[in-house]
Amino acid sequence: MPFTLETRLGRIRVERRVGYGRLYSISMTLLSLAIALLVAGLILASLGLDPVAAFQVIFGVFMKPSLLLESIKQSIPICLAALGLSIAFKMNFWNIGAEGQLYMGMIASTGIVLLHSYYGLFNEWAIMPLMLLASFLLGGAWCLIAGALKARLGVNEILPTLMLNYVAMLVVEFLVHGPWRDPKGYGFPLSIPFPDYAKLNFVFGEPAYTGLLLSVLGAAAVFLLLEYTKPGFEIKVVGQSPAVARYAGIRVRRTILLGSFLSGGLAGIGGLSIVSGIIGRLRPGASPGYGYTAIMVAALAGLNPWVVIVASIFFGGLLTAGGALQMSMGIPRAAAQMIQAIIFLMILVGEFIKRYKIVLEKPGVSGS
Amino acid sequence: MTVQVGTVYLLASLGEIYAERSGILNLGLEGIMVMGAAISFIFTLAYGHLAAILASIIVGILMSLILAVMAIYMRLNQTVTGLALTMFGLGLSGFLASPEIRRIILLALNPSLPERLLAIQEAPKLPEIPVPGLSEIPVIGCFFRQNVLVYISYMAAPLMWFILFKTKPGLSLRSVGENPAAADAMGINVFKLRCAATMISGGFAGLAGAYLFLGFQPFWQEGLTAGKGFIALSLVILSTWNPLKAILGAYLFGGVEVIQYRLQLFGLGALSPYLLAMLPYLIAIAALIAVSIESVRKRIGVPASLGIPYSREE
Amino acid sequence: METLVELRGIVKKFPGVLANDRVDFELRRGEVHALLGENGAGKTTLMNILYGLYRPDEGEIYIRGRRVELRSPRDAISLGIGMVHQNFKLVESHTVLENIILGLRENGLRIDFESHRRRITELAERYGWRIDPMARIWQLSAGEKQQVELLKILYRGAEILILDEPTSVLTVQETRRLFEALRRMAAEGKGVIFITHKLNEVMEVSDRVTVMRKGKVIITKDTRETTKMELANYMIGRQVIFGRREASSKPGAVVLKILDLKVLGDRGYPAVNGVSLEVRSGEILGVAGVSGNGQVELAEAIAGLRKPMAGRILLNGVDATGMDAGKMIELGVAYIPPEGNKLGIVPEFRIVDNLFLKAYRYPPYSNKILLNWRRMLGKARELIEEFGVVTPSVFSKAKSLSGGNIQRLILARELSGIVGGAPRLIVAAYPTKGLDVGATEFVHDLLMRYKEMGSGIIFISEDLEELLLLSDRIAVMSGGRIRGVLAREEADAEKIGLLMSEAAIQAG
Repeated sequence: MPFTLETRLGRIRVERRVGYGRLYSISMTLLSLAIALLVAGLILASLGLDPVAAFQVIFGVFMKPSLLLESIKQSIPICLAALGLSIAFKMNFWNIGAEGQLYMGMIASTGIVLLHSYYGLFNEWAIMPLMLLASFLLGGAWCLIAGALKARLGVNEILPTLMLNYVAMLVVEFLVHGPWRDPKGYGFPLSIPFPDYAKLNFVFGEPAYTGLLLSVLGAAAVFLLLEYTKPGFEIKVVGQSPAVARYAGIRVRRTILLGSFLSGGLAGIGGLSIVSGIIGRLRPGASPGYGYTAIMVAALAGLNPWVVIVASIFFGGLLTAGGALQMSMGIPRAAAQMIQAIIFLMILVGEFIKRYKIVLEKPGVSGS
Repeated sequence: MTVQVGTVYLLASLGEIYAERSGILNLGLEGIMVMGAAISFIFTLAYGHLAAILASIIVGILMSLILAVMAIYMRLNQTVTGLALTMFGLGLSGFLASPEIRRIILLALNPSLPERLLAIQEAPKLPEIPVPGLSEIPVIGCFFRQNVLVYISYMAAPLMWFILFKTKPGLSLRSVGENPAAADAMGINVFKLRCAATMISGGFAGLAGAYLFLGFQPFWQEGLTAGKGFIALSLVILSTWNPLKAILGAYLFGGVEVIQYRLQLFGLGALSPYLLAMLPYLIAIAALIAVSIESVRKRIGVPASLGIPYSREE
Repeated sequence: METLVELRGIVKKFPGVLANDRVDFELRRGEVHALLGENGAGKTTLMNILYGLYRPDEGEIYIRGRRVELRSPRDAISLGIGMVHQNFKLVESHTVLENIILGLRENGLRIDFESHRRRITELAERYGWRIDPMARIWQLSAGEKQQVELLKILYRGAEILILDEPTSVLTVQETRRLFEALRRMAAEGKGVIFITHKLNEVMEVSDRVTVMRKGKVIITKDTRETTKMELANYMIGRQVIFGRREASSKPGAVVLKILDLKVLGDRGYPAVNGVSLEVRSGEILGVAGVSGNGQVELAEAIAGLRKPMAGRILLNGVDATGMDAGKMIELGVAYIPPEGNKLGIVPEFRIVDNLFLKAYRYPPYSNKILLNWRRMLGKARELIEEFGVVTPSVFSKAKSLSGGNIQRLILARELSGIVGGAPRLIVAAYPTKGLDVGATEFVHDLLMRYKEMGSGIIFISEDLEELLLLSDRIAVMSGGRIRGVLAREEADAEKIGLLMSEAAIQAG
């Protein structure tokens, strides 16, 4: 029991709820969402902006097909990164480095494209599989740095993964300002635009559909891993208690290495979806914080891979809405980021309310 | 220069040391700092420096209160909550300090503000106040040609060390972070004390943000902290949760950044500026590794209950 | 004699449990009052209420005749009540002095280290304790830690002292010294409440005794007017039969051979310091001794959880020194860890997951990569039936089980041989600690059954009675060494106690 408050009206107690149904859980989440939007609306209103109009723009994103498609496109890197994070978080490995792992995935994909276009090393049909492989490996390796530090030296992973985000961004800056700059780009810090065979548009020629397919495949893979495989079981035991895992004869260090690698690898593929699906080339700031949004998505989805897909489309929609708000109402883009964070905070509070109930005891009931 | 950059880290880590000593990991540091910077930007334009500093401290405390309620009373995961707070701070600061919204706020705060100030992206820097006599000493004189917040940080570090290790509230605070059940059994209110420590960290983080903007680079850009809050978090570990050691650590990181600027100036063009900019982050990781190896050898460690919510009957 | 404490009609409910059911209790000035009962009888809950940690749902509390409302330990402390908890509530990394003055409310914010140091030393000397106020808690022995806990209370001038199972971590000598100190405190006019489940101690130290069972007070009596047998009957609620169990089997080949084993403890010095042992199949080797003398480290080394720094471990003649837990499992070592609810299960996992915490990775329950849930579920249903785990389904979370059922679940996993036949070697560390009589008997029966099936068993316990009941041989352990091994015919409580205390004399 977290606390008891004594007031003149009686005792206010907070009690753990013994169990609750799925319907109750979902309705509490929706309620939290509604409260979050209300808070966001109040902030907008207090600055003299019209919250109703703003929400019309936001929800309009999910109604209009072209904007919905854009939202799905935006959701793909979020979804893949969040799927990776689900693995890490199940392992109680606080990978805050999805952003950096996304950038490493972008670097790997771009590297393959450049190798082909400068040296013609590969067949065109082999490019996309190679890009997938390379982005998975490099993203995984980036996360593996923190994983190895934890497994070998006991360094807590939170700060190293965070620091590596900044390092990864600077690597991209270095590359596009230097060796990878497009010679025909008028000196702008951009890589060459990707040729068609390096783009994610196999399904109906549309990156959103191709990406959605990628997301679903990723979710299925994560689901299978965690529910039906030995390494998945080991990841979950390690996440619950490394001491029990050791007792059960699980090789904890190896599991941490594997889990962190897979986690980063999925984010790496997310990076591929940015350069091949959304932008079509590498540039600095290619991710407007997808990796951080992915943390919210993974947490809000309760690490359930299928819910991750839905939640990332919602957050992708909010990102799209950010742009629409600026265009139509002159509300700065950061508003979308702020609303995201408010939703995150409110749903966390909702988690608390789900787990506990507040009881008011009238005086005289006890102690008499 | 070293002192100027280091003060950002020093202020932020001093408060965080208190929070972590009490068992609360405030990962919202980065978000609170950037909010502190944004608020000090707006309030300096509207009312001047003093109001700006006070406002950023208050906003820092208010933001940390969100964390306190969620992590201490609701017992939600501190990592997730802290990150949520950082994202909130980054979003809200970007929103409030954006030209459109800033204009609305400035006019509301001070309707007589001239048009020129409504649109500019920068604010007057805090003046440097040389200490008579001391500032003329060679070599160390530079420590005494700083602005008022730097002097405050000089005084705060030893004072906070003394409170933490030599007074009863300090002892209670450390005990709550090590073994809250033991403290509770001796009649200490674990919840209130943790809440207070979190608010102290929030206040200092707000101040650090104000200093970063007003005392160091008074030109607004979104997310101008660029991970400085996270570096301060590694610094707290490097200092082994000791306010005096935090001074050394802060100036070490300050020094690293200065070296990075210098190397660029001295035409080390072969080394790309982007690679040099990685230095602080890489050194922070190196510091974490060093401390981790060291703490296994000696018995200096994390406050034993860091990150673990406390409740009595479960 | 003045009444210091009076509790009237205390009721305390926890979800699903009535921990205290209209309890009355009285403590007088100058007495040592034993509060006797089995685990789960509600003794600790009652005392936590008196100490302000829990709030009673009903009932009244009178201190020195005045009705009081205890909202927190702070209220209790200010009324002169102090409590030594079973698990010490000390800040390990702080000094003795810092622990003692923690939470003191005196004038001034600054700590006057020098004057506190002097006063603490004086107070300690009054009870014959020698303790360095500047030492860190983690450097102290269990007995010294307990002295710090008592000093914490006495330093605040408490008159009402509550000690929860204070002797469970103490050696014979330390216990004797504690009792002397308690008698002196009572003679000074304080009141001491002594929670225990050990009859000998009640007879030795107390003036009066209150017996609790299942949340209720059964009786309060003068200690002089009662006997151990009578108290045991009140405590358990039926006639207790103290008898030995006879087994038909004869010990067979050597299963485990340990040679001059040295194992590092958590504090960085050898916790096991040169142990040599032999366990045969069909034999129970009891390990007696006060806990914290290297027993758990020894068990963990055998289970592959701790790397030995020297010596050898042979399993069925195979050198298994330094192998990890996974290898040891494959060699047929089953390990029932102490505090099973923490180390033996994953509380958030379902029962089926917990049953297959080790076996999931072996055929037929999985192939190279994939798990076969259908097989595991089928086997899990059989196991909960066979081992009598009471649960609505194998999908329930393990944390929903009671302590006894958790232990059954652990036994089912470790003993059923789902990895491949009955285990060759069973290492059971305090398997009955905290269990009620029924669950304890179940564990005993099970160990006997596996002994007859030919497993070699190492049975670590603090409880001499059950050791004498089950063991074929008893090894007495203290200070990380085996002080002697007694055959069942020659073993009795006195001889074991002698071996323990001889060691203590040598060491001290």
